[in-house]
Amino acid sequence: MEALSLLMDGLAAALTPQNLVWAFLGVLLGTAVGVLPGMGSAMAVALLLPVTFRLDPTAALILFAGVYYGGMFGGATTSILLNTPGQASSIATTYEGHKMALAGRAAQALGTAVIGSFVASLIGTLVVALFAPFMVSVALNFGPGEYFALTVFSFVAVAAVVSGSVLRGLASLLIGLAVGLIGIDSQSGTPRFDFGSATMLDGIDIVIVTVGLLALGEVLYVAARGRSAPDLATTSAGRPWLSRGDWARSWRPWLRGTALGSVFGPIPGSGAEVPTFLSLGLERRLSARRERRRGVRDEFGEGAIEGVAGPEAANNSSAAGTMVPLLGLGLPTSATAAIMLAAFQQYGLQPGPVLFERDAELVWTLLASLLIGSVMLLVINLPFAPLWAKLLRLPKPYLYAGITLFSVLAVYAINTSVVHLVMLLAVTLLGLMMRAFGVPVAPALIGVVLGPIAETEFRRALAASSGDPSILVGSGISIGLYVLVLVAAAVPVVTALRRRRKARASAPAERETSDLG
Amino acid sequence: MMSRSEGPVSVPEEAPEAREDTRVPDGPGTTAAVDPESAPWSGPARWVVPALLAVVGAVALWGAFTVEAPPNATRPGPGAFPGAVGALLLVVAACLAVAGLRGSRTGDGTAGNTLSWFGARPVLVVMAGLVVHVALLEVLGWLLAGALLFWVVAYAFGARAHLRDAVVALSMSAAVQVGFSLGLGLSLPGGLLELVL
Repeated sequence: MEALSLLMDGLAAALTPQNLVWAFLGVLLGTAVGVLPGMGSAMAVALLLPVTFRLDPTAALILFAGVYYGGMFGGATTSILLNTPGQASSIATTYEGHKMALAGRAAQALGTAVIGSFVASLIGTLVVALFAPFMVSVALNFGPGEYFALTVFSFVAVAAVVSGSVLRGLASLLIGLAVGLIGIDSQSGTPRFDFGSATMLDGIDIVIVTVGLLALGEVLYVAARGRSAPDLATTSAGRPWLSRGDWARSWRPWLRGTALGSVFGPIPGSGAEVPTFLSLGLERRLSARRERRRGVRDEFGEGAIEGVAGPEAANNSSAAGTMVPLLGLGLPTSATAAIMLAAFQQYGLQPGPVLFERDAELVWTLLASLLIGSVMLLVINLPFAPLWAKLLRLPKPYLYAGITLFSVLAVYAINTSVVHLVMLLAVTLLGLMMRAFGVPVAPALIGVVLGPIAETEFRRALAASSGDPSILVGSGISIGLYVLVLVAAAVPVVTALRRRRKARASAPAERETSDLG
Repeated sequence: MMSRSEGPVSVPEEAPEAREDTRVPDGPGTTAAVDPESAPWSGPARWVVPALLAVVGAVALWGAFTVEAPPNATRPGPGAFPGAVGALLLVVAACLAVAGLRGSRTGDGTAGNTLSWFGARPVLVVMAGLVVHVALLEVLGWLLAGALLFWVVAYAFGARAHLRDAVVALSMSAAVQVGFSLGLGLSLPGGLLELVL
């Protein structure tokens, strides 16, 4: 319990009125940047990093933690309200979150996201504080072969679990992987699929892909559907707070999401996307099982609160988890972590195995400021949740015109380049097409994010073993992951077979089950 | 971000339309008659996705065979992954085409996704707005190009109070420009106005 008392010391050092003001400001600024479509925590931290250099380290870390959490929540807000995630880790939230908003439950979606984030960062930070050295030693066991197994696992989990049709999910995933191939090959430096354009050499930025596939694709899709599209402005806001039923349905997904985030967060390379999608898939599975076993209606696809609570909790606890490789190994595992590493170096902090001994005081202050940041997030944004939800009551033409304007802005702001906007148009058309033909876009996004990682690790593994493929199954971790892949791939097939057999069995049996539902 | 203070924004003529729409949804998924994610494709539409996948797969395979690996590159080289992705794309395209054929033969033939709900006109208007915006952004500057984009998209979504729409569009665009250049230090192109002022 030595770690706990050290954490308390850190809290004592961080909890001054002045620092609380910094935390407050950080969360406010982070949320403000995060709610711009296409901008999330990484963008918020990057934009506000220069401000922190003028502060003393403790205040800077606290401001930072506030911005980080605020930006993350801001990204979740746009996912839920506008179907536009600010960062890859809130993509999973869009599915059920936006459906909830369409069903008039935006405030509840935001509420469960805020409280879930709070619970998850609280638990996640405590887990990191208590088990950091152990987690570092596990993370060190991850070689290229294990990373590759992890990405394959995520691909299969997403294609098989998140989408309605396995074949269409696979199609979407492959499109994403193909888009991810564009640009300079990181292993050999060879230009690939650049089609003669210098800008294409950098690949297609993930902001372009998310904004195009999700935000602008959605705008065009709604335009195409005309009157048959749901009208956001007329959705009743409902009661602004979480009802008792919402709490009852949310707390287990919070804890499950937190657990997933804590397990996957510290693994370098998995980032926050993997646990958020695993959480979404898990909740979806459990919900379908509840319907089969106990007749509780499966609301997935229509805005299930579990589908917001789980992924948001996973997102935040993995954010705490990324501190493990960052502090313990000096290894940034996400864009935000990379920026934080830059900030540490400003203060002469050299993350690595000895950091916990040499700069113990600052490490514990950082962990304590994460706690303060998450409390501040709850305090500031819970009251705002119903207010943000009001955004949907704008007249439809202005709402979609505004989304379009901010989408273009987000992409232009990457590098103030018009070529990026042309790419955005192409991706937008792809997004509209996928929507119109019912091909899910989530697997494509995962393909774009994790595809390059999968390729790099695969080739690195084979390079390390000089071409011997047995390295891919060379450890217990990777074998275990491949077994999970087989299970994940087998379950939909078995379910489909069972359903077919049941349908063939007899019609009366079906009537019976529908009476129950 | 999007709060606005231009006075009341809901016009009387929009209200009845809005009320009408509330009656339509509340069904499962609150979507149109068919849920595109699970509905089988029917009619000529069923060839579009397999064709798209086949084209992307062909491009990936072409890239895999034409990419020039540097002589010192370790194997598997830069062509291996594109090759695998391309081959899988072709396989999935074939599977989807077969599934589309089978679905149209055995399916009940009513709930297919034939794209009959697709309203091309507003989509074309929005796309035109985006293309014009991209083409004119650095000439006209963010303020005018952004306002034009806002106005066109609002028009495509049924806004017909042209003057008020223009005022809202200009103030949104101006707010973004001011907010970004002052607050975040990001410069958006000034364009024409920069020359005039």
